Amino acid sequence: MGIVIQAAAYGIVVGAVYGLIALGLSLLTGVMKFLNIAHGSLVILGGYISFWLFKLWGIDTYLSIPLVIIAMFLVGLVLYKLALSPLLKLPNIGMRIDTSMLITFGLVYILDNAMTILWTPNARSVVTSYTGESLGFLGAKFSVTGLLGLGVAILTAVALYFLLSRTYFGKHVRAISQDAEAASLCGINVHRTYLISCGIAIALAGVAGVIIISCYSITPNSGLSWLLISFVVMVLAGEGNIKAILPAGFIMGLLESVSALAVGAPYREVVALIMFILVLMFRPQGLFTKRG
Amino acid sequence: MAINWKKLLIIGLIVAVFIAIPLVMKLRTNIMNLMITLFIYITLSQSWNIIGGYTGQINLGLAAFFGCGVLITHFLWESGMPIYFAVVGGGLSAVILAGIIGLPTLRLRGVYFAIGTFALAQVCRTVVGNTFARMVQMPASYIASYSIVPRYYLALIVAIIAIAVVYFLINSKLGLAMMAIRDDEVAAQVSGVNIFKYKVLALLISAFLAGLAGGVYAFFRLSFMYITAVFSHTWTFEPIMSVIIGGSGTLIGPILGSIFLVVLSEIFALKLGEAHLIIFGILFILVVLYSPHGLVGSVDKARQLLTHINRSISKLRGEIQA
Amino acid sequence: MLEISHIDIYYGELQALWDISLTIGEGEIVTLVGSNGAGKSTIMKAISGLLKPKSGSINYDGICLDRLPAHRIVELGISMVPEGRRLFTQMSVLENLEVGASRKTTKEVKHNTIGWIYQLFPILMERAGQRAGTLSGGEQQMLTIGRALMSQPKLLLLDEISLGLSPLMVQEISRVIRDINKSMGLTIFLVEQDVYMALSMAERGYVMENGRIQYQGDAKALLASEQIKKAYLGIGPTEKRAK
Repeated sequence: MGIVIQAAAYGIVVGAVYGLIALGLSLLTGVMKFLNIAHGSLVILGGYISFWLFKLWGIDTYLSIPLVIIAMFLVGLVLYKLALSPLLKLPNIGMRIDTSMLITFGLVYILDNAMTILWTPNARSVVTSYTGESLGFLGAKFSVTGLLGLGVAILTAVALYFLLSRTYFGKHVRAISQDAEAASLCGINVHRTYLISCGIAIALAGVAGVIIISCYSITPNSGLSWLLISFVVMVLAGEGNIKAILPAGFIMGLLESVSALAVGAPYREVVALIMFILVLMFRPQGLFTKRG
Repeated sequence: MAINWKKLLIIGLIVAVFIAIPLVMKLRTNIMNLMITLFIYITLSQSWNIIGGYTGQINLGLAAFFGCGVLITHFLWESGMPIYFAVVGGGLSAVILAGIIGLPTLRLRGVYFAIGTFALAQVCRTVVGNTFARMVQMPASYIASYSIVPRYYLALIVAIIAIAVVYFLINSKLGLAMMAIRDDEVAAQVSGVNIFKYKVLALLISAFLAGLAGGVYAFFRLSFMYITAVFSHTWTFEPIMSVIIGGSGTLIGPILGSIFLVVLSEIFALKLGEAHLIIFGILFILVVLYSPHGLVGSVDKARQLLTHINRSISKLRGEIQA
Repeated sequence: MLEISHIDIYYGELQALWDISLTIGEGEIVTLVGSNGAGKSTIMKAISGLLKPKSGSINYDGICLDRLPAHRIVELGISMVPEGRRLFTQMSVLENLEVGASRKTTKEVKHNTIGWIYQLFPILMERAGQRAGTLSGGEQQMLTIGRALMSQPKLLLLDEISLGLSPLMVQEISRVIRDINKSMGLTIFLVEQDVYMALSMAERGYVMENGRIQYQGDAKALLASEQIKKAYLGIGPTEKRAK
């Protein structure tokens, strides 16, 4: 029993990370109708930024978050301007999604290889004074980094929720994701909103990367496996259901770590794939949305 | 279907040339290797062309079908099956894999198919990496009797089959349905086209070709240092690149694109090593954004431009005379 | 106030409008009528900035609208009620109205404007917290008009607001529109399939067929004219219209 509780503790932390990545993905997919296959690689990029801030200037990972947010926000702006805004000229949304998939697939290629060349394929992680320390809680041991990561993820999700539901910007975003043309007729500058949303989404990816480099480790190619599971989280949460993403992330994390007890750690992606197929076959609208 | 005899003759001539090459000349091994690689890429890109270019379903996990073909063919061949049967076996195994991911996802929007195939490739890579020893080898007897020429012919035959399949597909009822689905899925559906059935068919045919390509590769390479490499996303990305750069949804496009890719790889890989992949990535994105119809499209556009110029000149002439 | 001069509009390669010219004076109610597919909504989209004319120009109080993006045109004081309502169905009635006021205003002005909309359409106040998607067709139309009015426009464009509404509802909405025009001097340009309703409400009218303007003039005169009666009102002997 103790092993299961411990696995659950592990699962909640990794689930929070999955949820955070899925939030950024979901923002891009729901609002702009872009599917960003390179999102995982951008998460890893955020991790590298935090790593080098630590390595070169000794900035603690969690304190580096504001810097990573700024840097990744800028990356998001550039990404939008260069690669994604041309897609808005396409006549229909289906083409936009398909083309964004192709482009970001190419981007994975560019980013992952560039990171491999720049920073070698070796695994990196940040070891601080508190890495390896743990706290006991409800019969399980939580690593300090894990708790910090969990806290950051939840805080970020709550902040995003407030942004979307209480601010004008958030209202604009929600309006645009329901009917972009009608939104522009209401005086909303759709392009600028897209630009900022892209920045926010990539900044979210960066924060996830910081948590990953603190709690786990990164290699230039590890982005894709994080991406894959976050996709499944998005599917579990249901389309457009932002509130359900973090809970769906937790569910995925728990599922993964508990089943890892049975089948072994390397097969976590298999669990994700099976989950994906099952949900699509039996509840394609996600676990949290009512049908229709 | 009217048969254009002139075209058929030209094609027959080209094929005959390719068949004759190894018989008439003794080419250096690396050129033969290059040609075999080219044929494999042509097969893979036509495979993606069928599901992606003609049916409009973005398959991000071509590597899964390819790798599956490689693996199954390898083991069938090692166990004594003649290579041609083993290759077909590889193709069929890919079809089964395609069914597993295709049936649940093709009922839904294209995004789910893309993610599902992508997931499949990832999972295959992980599972294979953990199930098999890193290195997969052939017994020494196979290595000793290696000759490049049979590989050349197998690769050529499979590539010709791939091109032929696409050719007959385009002119068939299935092909028409596929293109209708690509152009406007909703319209196709309300016109009575059973889009699920046709999507699945297109996927199975596509997967079979990819599996065959994998079989050719297994025959070609014999042993693998890192078995997970055959499931690498590169095997998805480069065929897609060939198709898009050459011209998606055309017969010749993937062929042109594959030639472009293979030649460029040869030139760049020597000088730049890993970095050449980055250049390909950038090139790919540029083509998707600014020239989505690829080389074939550019030729068409050039032709249109010439016609337009011709017309303007005649108009001017006409006005001057009047 | 608004002057459209000789515009041509294309959807890709396909030409939809040929050499369209019309004017709308301040404080007027002007209408454009025509059968389905004649190109009426296309003109609305052009004025509001969703489509760009290939040639010709659209001028508003001297400002050229041709190259401006839609949200800038709203800022200038032109607001459109689009065809098919286009509400934000997942958001509440109140939120829809709030989004409509995206033009830079103070909180107080916004609050007052919402109050005014509630006076015009009391049912919206009742349903303020409800999701827009749950409203009836007539209520949705009122909400869309209310949302467009939130930006305090000087020119209101109405695209086929009678579609799918009961005659009673159409009457009610027309009454409200005429009231705002009279009391506030809000210029109205409406595009309609319901020729009778449109020409009764307007002062001047244009009649469009196959992407071209065929007739124009005083609304009452058009309503009484033989051609209109035959073509659109089903009055008179049935015969094929001469092209």
